[in-house]
Amino acid sequence: MTIYLIDDDSLGNYLTETLLRLENVGGEICTYESAEEALHALLRRPEPPRLIFLDLNMPVMSGWDFLDALEPHQPRLLGRCRIYILTSSLALADMERARSYELVSGLIHKPLDREEIRAIQAELSI
Amino acid sequence: MQASDLTPGGAPPAPQLPAWASLNDRGELVHGNAALAALLGCPVGALAGQSLVALLEPADAPTVRGLLPRAGRGEALSCPVRLPAAAGWYELTLLPAAGSTEVLLRPLSPAPAAPAPPPAPDQEREAQLNIIFESISDVIFVLGVEGPRRYRFQFVNAAFLRITGLPREQVLGRAVAEVIPEPSLSLALGQYQAAIRSGQTTHWVETSDYPSGRLVGEVCVTPVFDAAGTCQQLVGVVHDVTEQQQAEQALRESNERFRYALKATTDALYDWDVAADTLFWGEGFAELFGYQLAQNPTPFSQWSAYVHPDDAARTVDDLRYTAFHTEQPRWQQEYRFQRADGSWATVFDRGYLLRDARGRAVRMIGAMQDVSERKAAEQRQQQLAQELFQQNADLQQFTYLLSHNLRAPLANATGFAGLLGRLQPGTAQFEQTLEYLNTSLRRVDEILHDLNAILSVRGQALLVVPEPVPLAEVLGEVTELLAAELAGCGAEVCAELPPALRLQGRKAYFHSIFYNLLTNAIKYRAPERPLRVVVGATTGADGSVALTVADNGTGFDAGRRDAFQLYQRFHTGVPGRGIGLFLVKAHAESMGGRVAVSSRVGQGTTFTLQFSSPAA
Repeated sequence: MTIYLIDDDSLGNYLTETLLRLENVGGEICTYESAEEALHALLRRPEPPRLIFLDLNMPVMSGWDFLDALEPHQPRLLGRCRIYILTSSLALADMERARSYELVSGLIHKPLDREEIRAIQAELSI
Repeated sequence: MQASDLTPGGAPPAPQLPAWASLNDRGELVHGNAALAALLGCPVGALAGQSLVALLEPADAPTVRGLLPRAGRGEALSCPVRLPAAAGWYELTLLPAAGSTEVLLRPLSPAPAAPAPPPAPDQEREAQLNIIFESISDVIFVLGVEGPRRYRFQFVNAAFLRITGLPREQVLGRAVAEVIPEPSLSLALGQYQAAIRSGQTTHWVETSDYPSGRLVGEVCVTPVFDAAGTCQQLVGVVHDVTEQQQAEQALRESNERFRYALKATTDALYDWDVAADTLFWGEGFAELFGYQLAQNPTPFSQWSAYVHPDDAARTVDDLRYTAFHTEQPRWQQEYRFQRADGSWATVFDRGYLLRDARGRAVRMIGAMQDVSERKAAEQRQQQLAQELFQQNADLQQFTYLLSHNLRAPLANATGFAGLLGRLQPGTAQFEQTLEYLNTSLRRVDEILHDLNAILSVRGQALLVVPEPVPLAEVLGEVTELLAAELAGCGAEVCAELPPALRLQGRKAYFHSIFYNLLTNAIKYRAPERPLRVVVGATTGADGSVALTVADNGTGFDAGRRDAFQLYQRFHTGVPGRGIGLFLVKAHAESMGGRVAVSSRVGQGTTFTLQFSSPAA
């Protein structure tokens, strides 16, 4: 199983990766500090990543831009790739907007905690 | 005819002959026959020279006196008469003849007592007079004169009672003092005296309070004298002018109110005579707009020529259309109108169109109100509202970003702190986590410093006491401060600012602006060429100063996002918090300036700061 962590803050990626490992989430974890890079990598793969944690507030390409860029590939992704927004934002507007994306499975406030990881594992039925 | 023409004596009268006489044009008998002399009970010789009327019963005299002139003019007339010397009624017939009038007197065939005599002419006349008196709308009264200042009502007509509201029994037979209230009474008594003394009709106007209300009347009194020259009666006529007076009074008051209203209003009132196509102006026109009118009314163009050309279609054309092609009674418009000094006033114009029975405009009365000040205040208010709206939006954005950016390192710190509890102390992972925890907390601290810097600019914006800031000097200080960094990358700063250029503002803010723009230029320089930054200034025709800071760095896609927004970043490779440009904008705006950016990816970026005027 491949997991993408997309956050311009390297500390954020490190923290998320460590927490996932501690919960024994197996597989390959790829971290990207630029959404553009992550997008290129994703589109090159024959098989999309099973799970994506996506930050919203990033320079150049924001989390929203990333989701918009995936829109044309939605049919290939739906059911095969779960995207969770992982953000420090508490704004209600962001939660509302996240709901409008079919590709988004949920919005999690940073930092990620154990219960949330287990819930995601259950949904993926790993 | 002369008395010598009479034929005294003559044949004795035949009894079957009717009584007969001939009259001269004065109504006197020239001669008469014996039958007449018998009826009149006098000798035939005594008839000549007698007045016909004097020979009749006095009650019938007026009727006959009235008929004589008509007979003289050629009418044949007859009427019943009585004679003092003979009982019964006789028919008197007057026959016009050449130069004289023939008179025949014949006894009326039925017994004089039997016939229902036709109404006596006096009674008939009295009845007619009565009808006239009672139906006339003016007050008519007759006063009996009983002595000096003593008069009594002998007759009043219906109009008297109706207009005064007094009942008949309170007037008829009463002394005037009982009927006419003061102060009219004294006035009237004086006028009666004057009429009696002069024998002339007198006139006056009096105002009296009667049960029906306050009445104003034009009174006219004529004295009637008897044969002995004593005034027996006064005949009065009163024309009630109460309503007319009230209407005149109301009109006077209304005119007065209008005059004061004209003085009170600062509007330019006009009266458009549609047929003549002229405008008559009130005082306000000259006062409001400064035009000295050589004539008034003026041609229509005195108005239309000064309406702003951009407003003319919806103003001048619209007015003429409304007047000539609709039946609307009102027209109003707001437009610009040129004052005599060439400046423009904003005018609110409202008019009322008077139309004839067929709906055609005849006149328009209207008022031009100068609303320039109100309009300007409205615009200021609108601008203020817009600025407040923008500021509010800025603040919301600011709050959102700040909370987000403050929360991001805090969330990390929370995560790392939680992680520490699950890791073995002393392990490399534990040490790494601890270091990241510190890093995250330092970031929280940085953000708080940013916050402080931002709030101090915002808070002090109102308190800034502007001073003339020598820009070239400040730029020199900043390049000095950044000398090591600039030298480190082989950069060149070309300061093309005029040495004497000073702008009103705060030195610390210009310092911050140059510092942030230069560090940005260093940060985002193009690796393939040495950095060159040109700082210049141009002064516009209006005295405004444009500061430019142009570099040859990597540039960015400026069209995508607002570069000056807090925590907005365009680069991922270079560390940056996205606060520099935010501060540049905040500092420039707090000194009344505006900032703009143009940039091309791979070529460079130019920042332009516009300030309204240089320091004096």
